[in-house]
Amino acid sequence: MKVFIDPPNSLVLFDLVERFGHEPLSTMAAIQERVDNLEVDMPPMNVTLDDVVKGLKYAGVEVPSGVRGRLALWGPMIESADAAIVMDDCPYSFGCVGCERSNLMVKYLIKRRGIPVLYVTYPEDEDQATNFVAQTKEFLEGLK
Amino acid sequence: MTIKIAQLSCGTEYSSVQYEIEKAARSVGAKIVYPDVSAADIDDAVKRFGFNPRSPQLKLMIARAAKLADGQYDADAVFITTCFRCAEAALVRNELRRFVQENTRLPVVTYSFTERLKASQLLTRMEALVTIVTRKELLARERQTGITVGLDSGSSTTKAVVMEDNRIIGKDWTPSGDVVASATHVLENALKMAGIEMKQVEAIGTTGYGRFTLGEHFHAKLVQEELTVNSKGAVWLADRQRGEATIIDIGGMDNKAITVRDGVPDNFTMGGICAGASGRFLEMTSKRLKVDVTELGAIADRGDWRNAKMNSYCSVFGIQDLVTTLGEGKRFEDVAAAACHSVAEQVYEQQLQEIDVRHPIIQVGGTSLISGLVSAVGEVLGERPIVPPDSQYIGAVGGALLSSGFL
Amino acid sequence: MSEERETRLFMIAPDSMLTPDQLVRMIHAFGEEALVKETCYGCLVEGPRELVLKIRDRVREKYRNEVFTKIRAYRCSDPRRCRAQHGTRPGFAQLEEEWELLTRIHRGLDRVDAGAKYEPTPAKKRLPVNDFKKICEVQE
Repeated sequence: MKVFIDPPNSLVLFDLVERFGHEPLSTMAAIQERVDNLEVDMPPMNVTLDDVVKGLKYAGVEVPSGVRGRLALWGPMIESADAAIVMDDCPYSFGCVGCERSNLMVKYLIKRRGIPVLYVTYPEDEDQATNFVAQTKEFLEGLK
Repeated sequence: MTIKIAQLSCGTEYSSVQYEIEKAARSVGAKIVYPDVSAADIDDAVKRFGFNPRSPQLKLMIARAAKLADGQYDADAVFITTCFRCAEAALVRNELRRFVQENTRLPVVTYSFTERLKASQLLTRMEALVTIVTRKELLARERQTGITVGLDSGSSTTKAVVMEDNRIIGKDWTPSGDVVASATHVLENALKMAGIEMKQVEAIGTTGYGRFTLGEHFHAKLVQEELTVNSKGAVWLADRQRGEATIIDIGGMDNKAITVRDGVPDNFTMGGICAGASGRFLEMTSKRLKVDVTELGAIADRGDWRNAKMNSYCSVFGIQDLVTTLGEGKRFEDVAAAACHSVAEQVYEQQLQEIDVRHPIIQVGGTSLISGLVSAVGEVLGERPIVPPDSQYIGAVGGALLSSGFL
Repeated sequence: MSEERETRLFMIAPDSMLTPDQLVRMIHAFGEEALVKETCYGCLVEGPRELVLKIRDRVREKYRNEVFTKIRAYRCSDPRRCRAQHGTRPGFAQLEEEWELLTRIHRGLDRVDAGAKYEPTPAKKRLPVNDFKKICEVQE
């Protein structure tokens, strides 16, 4: 099944989703599609004006362009996801997840989809990490 | 030498504008760089800075600025940019600008972009950053020598000045039409006034929108953007070449607010998103009032803006307000004052929030001849700006002054 | 997703005894025609997708819980993302932070392999006002 991960660029979530037998939907894949598109030369990511305009589907023109551009990347993935894992309170969230408003909107869009969602919190110690791994495994295996 | 411009930003890559920023930098011989930071630096930098934004990318901006402040990263200039309409980023952008200025001597420019940003819009700003870094000695020039000419090809008017041994001996201006024809016309008149022949001119400096075309046509020794050239012209005309000052130039299409130290800009903003509050708005107002724009200032001085409030400075809605106000039977004087006030207010709201106003304030450009506008700026800022003689000729004077550096 | 190529980063948990050099040598020893580039955290592997997935599975067979992996949008040494070209890009700090977390995840995975199950933990509740009041009274 296709599992959207939030943060969408997380190594840990990407790894666990694959490890437990599903296809992670991540920012990296969305950007790869763009950087491999030889017809567009808009470095570094080939996110184009068209993308930002497509973002209007998710947020109005009064919303900053950076939010709309991000939503244009993630919106279609959330729409095609069968499930999602959302990690709260991440101390790490740089790069594509650098805008807090976009991140809030992503969580909301996931919620609106009504797909199975696992909400996990960032593990602060080894016991919490074990619990996080076990919970994630249980959720992903339950999707089969 | 490639000039390194450190970019502190949020949202550029996701707004499809990063490429445009890099293109603008490249076209003026500069390169965009990002100060290296490690994850561990970020928390420390945010704590030290004291503003803890929710968006992590803004935290990263802060950490990068701290690297510049500590001299741990080598850059020549700083470009701080965030998405237009993002409140959190606007707060961080301005405070970081202040932080960088307090802790470094690097020239800084701030900008808020939309997804429609094109490299050409940034060109003048990037060019100015590069000029400040590469032409330090030229910009330090305080006296004009020999016989030189400055040509300023602006969006509304074209100006020419002839200078000899640090004095203006000829000048003229005309509304801009064909770039070369307008410049030729004012140049001929200025030379006539000076009583000298073209062949006696030792150097020409061009600035403004048409600077490249004029530079080529007249074989100019200096072709330079208007931010640095106008600053030099302004401090020369106001006799404030040493120390600090703020230069406000309300132009035909965009407004500039520049802070200078010894005549060299270290921070500036140029109106980007909206041209509503500019000389053009006042032109439209005077047209509607059926008076010449040169008379508008005196009329405005006799009125009180409080009697004819305008709710918008947009060149469409603002003029509509004006029509309504006139329809209500308000006095022309009050309406003219309201138009001037609305322009001053927007300059205050937009440009002057992005710089730290330093004293004295020097108001220049063609609109500085509209006394009502100068009064309005003074009222909004709580201090009447200095308007030097020949204040509309700043670009041309700056061009003549700096081009004499090539003799 | 492109089926043509896949670029994947392999990151070694900080508590692992495995070094990037050993990891790269092992992948080379698989004899597959993939590009392998050693990095400070592990390595990057690039090649046709199926081949890269095969390498991923073989790495996981050997170092099940101490090597983590995700795809990368950019090719190896893509100047658009190369640190030497402009300085670090934003995602660099993210990877650094996640790298530190890997020790805990490594141990968590080991424990789950050994049979540990998920145990719901009660969410922390706010201190009732009356209890807080009592504490304040004691302080006085």
